[in-house]
Amino acid sequence: MYEKNPLSPHLQIYRWHLSMILSITHRIIGAVNSVAMILICLWTISLLFGEENYEMIKILFQSFFGKLLIISLSWSFSFHILSEIRHLIWDLGYGFDLKISKITGIITIIGSLVLTVLIYLLGKNLI
Amino acid sequence: MHYSTKKWLAIKCSSVILIPLMFWFIVNLASIYDESYIEIVSFFSKTSSKALYSLFLIAAFSFFSLTISEVFEDYVKNERIKNVATKILYVFAIVMPLITILSIFYLN
Repeated sequence: MYEKNPLSPHLQIYRWHLSMILSITHRIIGAVNSVAMILICLWTISLLFGEENYEMIKILFQSFFGKLLIISLSWSFSFHILSEIRHLIWDLGYGFDLKISKITGIITIIGSLVLTVLIYLLGKNLI
Repeated sequence: MHYSTKKWLAIKCSSVILIPLMFWFIVNLASIYDESYIEIVSFFSKTSSKALYSLFLIAAFSFFSLTISEVFEDYVKNERIKNVATKILYVFAIVMPLITILSIFYLN
């Protein structure tokens, strides 16, 4: 009987709403960022193999795909930062009201896009 | 204090430490990712970069290993598989940042 119980968060039962989408996205982005962290470590370790061996990685980063990778990573990190701040505010006991929860959810989504642009412009010394 | 409470506190502490370091790292990564090998090595050769990057790796791997173990807790029903997976995860979360930190100290 216990084995047949649906697993949390019961995706197939409840109607989808913003908080639910953000909660699932938070978990997926957490997993994506974990993989990204491993790739970041491998990128750092690759520096040990010298300038000649780094050429391939440099070419990859200078391509369109490289830019897309960094912009995507900036978004996933931005989303994670804002979503984590939202969770920390909840942990302090604030923001549980449905209306406020919806507003902070929208701020997380729009804010992550704005922060992505800001990070890229800051990184490239354009602002 | 209950084990779950300690774990929850550890997740929250690592999260608070990770947020500013994540922002610092991603801004710097956007700045150096397409630069030459010399530029990237010179970035990692600065003492401040070494210290902040090491802290970032420790905080990130602590946070992600603790939260992924929560996912195992939620979705892996078999206790034995769950325990082995969690142990492998924790070992990996120590070894990976350790090798990376050592590598930046060997860079120059």
